[in-house]
Amino acid sequence: MSNFYAALEVGTTRTVLAIGETEDGGRLKITCKAEIPSTGVRKSQILDIAQATQSIKSVLQKIERQQAEGGTKVTIGNAFLAVSGQHVKSSSAVGTTTVEGSRVTDDDLNAVLASARSGAALSKGRELLDIVDQDYVLDDRGGISAPKGMSGRVLRLNTIHIHADRNRIQDARTAAEAAHLEIREPLFATTCAADAVLEDHEKKNGVLVLDLGGGSTGYAFYADGYVVTTGVIGVGGDHVTNDIAHAFQTTNAQAETLKTAFASAVIRPVDGEAARVKVERGENSLMDTRTISRRALDTVVNARLLELFTVIRETLEDQDILHRLHSGVVLVGGGARMREIDTLAEQVLGANVRIGRPIHVDGLDNEEFPAAYATVAGALLYAHRNYEEKSILDGLFGRFFK
Amino acid sequence: MNGDSPLLLIGIGTSGARIACGVSRAFGEGLRYVLADTDATSGQLGGPFALLGGDRLSGRGAGGDVVAGRLAVEDSVRSLDEHLEGVRLAVVVTALGGGTGGGGTLEAVKHLADRGIPSVVFATTPFTFEGEDRQRNARGVMSMIEEAANVTFFLPLDKLVGETDNMEDALRRAVDTVAGGVTLFWRLVEKPGYIRLDAERLRHILSGAGRGRFATVTVQGPGRAKEAVDALLRSELLATSSGPVRTTLCGILAGNDLLLSEVGTIADGVRNSFGGLAFELATVNDEATFSGRLSVVIMLFESAAKPEDAGKPGGVMSSRHRKNRGVLTTGPNGRGRFKNAEPTIWNGEDLDIPTFIRRNISLDF
Repeated sequence: MSNFYAALEVGTTRTVLAIGETEDGGRLKITCKAEIPSTGVRKSQILDIAQATQSIKSVLQKIERQQAEGGTKVTIGNAFLAVSGQHVKSSSAVGTTTVEGSRVTDDDLNAVLASARSGAALSKGRELLDIVDQDYVLDDRGGISAPKGMSGRVLRLNTIHIHADRNRIQDARTAAEAAHLEIREPLFATTCAADAVLEDHEKKNGVLVLDLGGGSTGYAFYADGYVVTTGVIGVGGDHVTNDIAHAFQTTNAQAETLKTAFASAVIRPVDGEAARVKVERGENSLMDTRTISRRALDTVVNARLLELFTVIRETLEDQDILHRLHSGVVLVGGGARMREIDTLAEQVLGANVRIGRPIHVDGLDNEEFPAAYATVAGALLYAHRNYEEKSILDGLFGRFFK
Repeated sequence: MNGDSPLLLIGIGTSGARIACGVSRAFGEGLRYVLADTDATSGQLGGPFALLGGDRLSGRGAGGDVVAGRLAVEDSVRSLDEHLEGVRLAVVVTALGGGTGGGGTLEAVKHLADRGIPSVVFATTPFTFEGEDRQRNARGVMSMIEEAANVTFFLPLDKLVGETDNMEDALRRAVDTVAGGVTLFWRLVEKPGYIRLDAERLRHILSGAGRGRFATVTVQGPGRAKEAVDALLRSELLATSSGPVRTTLCGILAGNDLLLSEVGTIADGVRNSFGGLAFELATVNDEATFSGRLSVVIMLFESAAKPEDAGKPGGVMSSRHRKNRGVLTTGPNGRGRFKNAEPTIWNGEDLDIPTFIRRNISLDF
């Protein structure tokens, strides 16, 4: 019997729920997914629990309806939660142990691992999302991936602890539980997405993943096979929409339409009819249907995204990382759908940029824009890799067949 | 020092500490205050001192880095708590543009709000000659302080000094001017007069009053009341208006020679010149300080105070519940749909505000 997992993302613009199933060959496949526009969420933070609960309920009902139409009755009991937002931070911690004999043994490895884990004492109000083991340092030799059997006296393990505001996670749990969905584990959305879209050799060579969400943008830089640094900037696609609404005095719905249907991250030379964009009269709007300059629209969008990539570039420069993007930059998330955003990112970051698609998960081939599902795909992949041995009878799901 | 006063003056950052010390010296006994800075040398100014961000900056100051200043205050803002016992209204003096004042004032004010203590912020904004970076840092944080505090007075340093002042004199004079203004404000509350404005009354008026304009004037000699009104009319600090005045607070400070007719001249002059749906008048008679002189403190608010909110938990009208005072759907400062979310600050700029506005990018519609 196959294993099933569910992943939930309560984002700023949409709430997504996906079900993954282990196929016969051992690969993971997304068998069903549903999404609805989010309410009560701003900048990846839940501001209205009741509205967020309703969003989760709606997406649960939608996915259960889809399953029912396929002749299956599924009741989803719990899910892995993809967490984003600028409250997510990372910090370095080093585990240390003295090598008992002259060579490193399994006991030494366990000891240094325990030391690194005990260093995960977080300040009050923080919740640990992940501990990423980086490299070992034996005496003064760094960059060691497998120190067992090597000679030395003091063994260190560099790690990164990714943590988030406990209250924000609890808000998501509260909203989910009110929708009768238990949160199995909170996971960092950006590293989930990275695991779904990156090849191993890219992680070794040096690659940056940018998760362009509605309310925030997560980044994760990999080199030598592990996460070197990660973080979240509290600017996302919603900011582009807000800027457009402000510039052209439109409703948010009109601004969203302008963004998705017409805008470009790069200011394009246009003339003739293409130089103007129609803004339909909105519901309850006092303004009649009118046209705006496409160049002005692109200027507003370009200014915002140029600034976002500049912030990312400066962040990487501060950490001496910018020159290490040998495998380039991979864009994921709904924000990566913006026209020519890869061109702009290339110009600012000075590296090859591609739009990512989940390569370790099946079931998204027919999707128009698979990068938008990288996060839930990665969360399911995490579950698949870490809970594969557990049967669904362990209670991950309650599943009933007609 | 009066440890029982319900009013506390907090000087944040090096300039804020200097202003607070200036107020302390001018006011004399009875002023309850604390200096709070990331730079340990501010502790040598005298008086109660709270070192902010000691673990992070080791008392060396934020070095003009607003992010470092903000993080330092965020780390250690609870060190102010021991000074907040019994405080019913906090007056914060600070200078924007630099590290601790520019970066940390917001965190301090948010902490006060969390503790249920209304705050009135007097913040100077940088001289033009200090450069665009500092100006931008100040602009970036002003709207956020405005959202977190109950009342804000932003005082452009350019308007506090004369064009002929040299740089050193200008800085000193600016600090003295702000300190003098705050001292007069303090006397209004702490020194009883014939028409009294006590801390509770002031707190009631100021809860949720929003951004205000503030000026003081001191005159003497014959016709001083009329001269005071004329000087206020000329004040550049009162000149910038974004809407009709809703509340006017006028304080008159003088010695025993204050005449009833002078109170009438000033009250009528201010009311007729600046308007205001609500007008509050207070006087202070302090012969020892003001013999022969007459000072007027005026505060103008363009949004109505909401007394009904003053009685809510903590007495603070949270910015989260403050009505949008602008007319645009996206809000007066462009934070729009993000106005209730945690701001994103980068190099002192509020990234929630549209980029094209912050960059002054003109759009060809």
